[in-house]
Amino acid sequence: MIDRRDFLKGCVACSVTAASISVAGKNAFAAGSFEGYPDAMGVLVDLTRCVGCRSCEAACNNEQKLPEPDLPFDDQSVFMEQRRTTPKAYTVVNKYEVADKNTLFRKMQCNHCNEPACLTSCFVNAYTKTKEGAVIYNSKVCVGCRNCMIACPFNIPAYSYSSPTNPLVKKCIFCYDTRLKNGRPPACVEICPQQVMTFGHRSDLIEMGHERIKSNPAKYVNKLYGEKEVGGTSWMYLSSVDFDKIGLDNHMQNEPIISNVKDFLGMVPMVLSIWPALFTGIHLLATKNKGEHGDHDHKEGDQQ
Amino acid sequence: MHAVKRQMIMAITGALFLVSSTCFGAGIPDKVTIDSIQKYYSAVDFNHAAHINTLKDCGLCHHHTTGAQVNDPNCVRCHKNSGAQAVVSCKGCHAAEPFTPEALKRQRDQVPPIYHMDKVGLKGAYHLGCLGCHKKMGGPTGCQDCHKRNVSGDAIFHSNTYTPKSTNEPKQSHH
Amino acid sequence: MKQYMKRNSNTQIVNSLRTDNDRGRKWTFMEKLLIGLTPQQYIAQAVSNPFNWFLALVFAVGFPVIIGRFIFGLEWATGGPQSNAWGLFLGFGLFGMVPLSSSGFQMGSAVEVFGRHDMEPLERLGILNGILGYFFAVVFLLVDLGQPWRLPYPMVVSWGPASVLFLVAWHVATYLSVQAAETSTSFFEWMGWPAGRTVIKKMALGLAVAGIILSTLHQGALGALSSYAPGKIHPLWYSSSFQWLYFFVSSLPGGLCMVIVVSTIVIKTMAWRCDDNFKLNLDKLHISLAKGASMGLITYLTIRMIGVAHDNKWAYLSTGWGAWWMFEIGFGVILSLILLTAGVRKNNVTLIRLGAWTTILGVILNRLNVYLITFNWKHGEIEIPPLREFMITITIYCVYIATYRAILYRWPILYRWKTKYSEYAVLEPTPATIIAVVAEPEACPSGK
Repeated sequence: MIDRRDFLKGCVACSVTAASISVAGKNAFAAGSFEGYPDAMGVLVDLTRCVGCRSCEAACNNEQKLPEPDLPFDDQSVFMEQRRTTPKAYTVVNKYEVADKNTLFRKMQCNHCNEPACLTSCFVNAYTKTKEGAVIYNSKVCVGCRNCMIACPFNIPAYSYSSPTNPLVKKCIFCYDTRLKNGRPPACVEICPQQVMTFGHRSDLIEMGHERIKSNPAKYVNKLYGEKEVGGTSWMYLSSVDFDKIGLDNHMQNEPIISNVKDFLGMVPMVLSIWPALFTGIHLLATKNKGEHGDHDHKEGDQQ
Repeated sequence: MHAVKRQMIMAITGALFLVSSTCFGAGIPDKVTIDSIQKYYSAVDFNHAAHINTLKDCGLCHHHTTGAQVNDPNCVRCHKNSGAQAVVSCKGCHAAEPFTPEALKRQRDQVPPIYHMDKVGLKGAYHLGCLGCHKKMGGPTGCQDCHKRNVSGDAIFHSNTYTPKSTNEPKQSHH
Repeated sequence: MKQYMKRNSNTQIVNSLRTDNDRGRKWTFMEKLLIGLTPQQYIAQAVSNPFNWFLALVFAVGFPVIIGRFIFGLEWATGGPQSNAWGLFLGFGLFGMVPLSSSGFQMGSAVEVFGRHDMEPLERLGILNGILGYFFAVVFLLVDLGQPWRLPYPMVVSWGPASVLFLVAWHVATYLSVQAAETSTSFFEWMGWPAGRTVIKKMALGLAVAGIILSTLHQGALGALSSYAPGKIHPLWYSSSFQWLYFFVSSLPGGLCMVIVVSTIVIKTMAWRCDDNFKLNLDKLHISLAKGASMGLITYLTIRMIGVAHDNKWAYLSTGWGAWWMFEIGFGVILSLILLTAGVRKNNVTLIRLGAWTTILGVILNRLNVYLITFNWKHGEIEIPPLREFMITITIYCVYIATYRAILYRWPILYRWKTKYSEYAVLEPTPATIIAVVAEPEACPSGK
């Protein structure tokens, strides 16, 4: 006869596992509606101003003490192909041929999301969104699963695969340690001759961006990219052409990436609490008329 | 009281004199050495006279400050009749360091908050002004056409004496 | 071994007590390791097996490459892809092997929870298939991680509890322990430690229920992981609402069909190891499993279709990617479904076994499509992993096969461990009992 003892045993065995894991579901619920820190800083990138001088790449390399580049930063031949961020370059400028022989340059770096996918996908919590707005990375705990690279909607984090003993995620950290923490703009913003980038409070920059579009509607497409995308980003873009044409996904969701897995994470506590009772109950029903539980053991097992 | 009044009158007269003299060209420099923010590049020897001769319109660079007629509808709303100003040089209005915490605070706290909110910094003003026009008018547009890069500039650009030794190797080296 | 047994049919292999010269004596540990053969005999059978030569070749080439990966780093082994960060190790090794290992919880719960004691001859195989699949998924993970020595970090150093991967890490770790406990019964029998076995047997129900919970969640979680990359995975393979269901539901037929495939290979290549309880019930059990698998497949097909309809993605079907999608569904799901159901209707195990193969290939293809082939589809090109990545993947998979076989050779998975000499007389099947079993297939040979 299966009795209450067996039933309880089943429940206990499961709830031990449940206890450790239910933290997951609960915290996931708490996340997801975060709108960004009120005093977070940001950068407004006006792509119509960029002339492709690559000073920002040089300044970033210098500020972050990155390895020597393959080519000098005044070499324009790099524009022959589309580049992405690498462990040696946290920011790169690409050239896009847009309508009527026009070209547009786009600088790319971490956009420092309000609710970063890298942060929410990381199982050791290696990322932090600071109150200043930077998304920074703790190399001490990173295991190297690279889920952040999978999750980042902008394909920004790069991994230093070449190191056998200490490979790490390499990405723009908004010059947090050396500058942002002290209220100073990042190195790329400071060096830019064209002031493509305007550094300021994110809330001011949103206003400023819309003001620029309003006062010059012929020049800009009517969209401030990054204001709403994936829950809002600290770096936002103005462009004279459709963002799809310069490698930015124009149909990016407005909800943060974490909201895609919220349904699933929300289900976790339910499964953990209902399944043990449900299946132990089914067991009772399924085996009621089949005689003694435990009788189906391999009889020969009882060694003398 | 009288002393104060007299000082004020003198100040206003002085200011008026300055303004009018700029307007009439008495104090216009023929050459300007732009050297206030040099770091990675040497100073620019700017031929002011040549630009005046070519453009004729001071407002193209100096906005409304020289008393020139302004056409930009955004400026016209306030500066249609604001006349010539005491300060006309770029660095007089455009901040060399536009993003310091103090500068950002000043901008946030200005009353009323909407005007000149989006004013570019000095370096931005130079380049947007010069380069934007040079592109349209066919002037020189290369960085070093106007100012030579100095040694510390070469260092951060990894150029000239600092050129990477691996340049001759294939760009994407897979080990 | 099969060839060897054919040539030396009267060889006494380990299966509990010796029956030859000193009857009733227990086998020594060494004898158990060598399956009852002398070292010379053991080497002779190993050398005569061509599959061992194949394994030796793979290991000779592959192990240096695996060592090289740890000396020279991941870039040397995988080329260091920045945009497609997960390659074959995870795409095949983790995402492909875990769904095929859902057999552990399914067979465990069928027997222990739902009281399907007729499934017992395959219960232990199902559970072993589960634990080995998970274990080697972790091995693949260790090869892929940048800093594998930090694997325990999500458990002890730093928690990222809002992350799906955190859930996966905890569940897989917990579930590995659960499966280790479940598998240990055969290990305890083999070692001759009945006490351990008795303890585990008492926990059987709890373990089975824990298995259901953990499997539901982490099979789904592996799918939910891809919901992090909505713009990168092709829309036909992506659905934020259904993604975890796709993965969970497809893992059900995947696991069952893996049991069919493995037991088919077993009966063909190591029949000497299987007892009659296993051999005589296999066809019947394959039909039962095929019924379960086709239920799973039809559910899977339905939700895949609903997924496309729900987000109105029909237009994508006319593209090249659409053709590839239809191939995946057509081959892996619809063809499998036809083969399995036809096999069930006609009592034709050949069709079922064929269907089981197409099912597991379909599941693996689906996982590769999600994480490798359609990943970053907008970039236009499919990244083909470099040679060394293939070599490492194949080598680890061969280690998996070799481990699988080594355990099946020894532990009482495919046969029952007899401890009393008298049982031989009772349980060694005589022609009469065989006829009885065949004539009355419903009779549960064990148990009563």
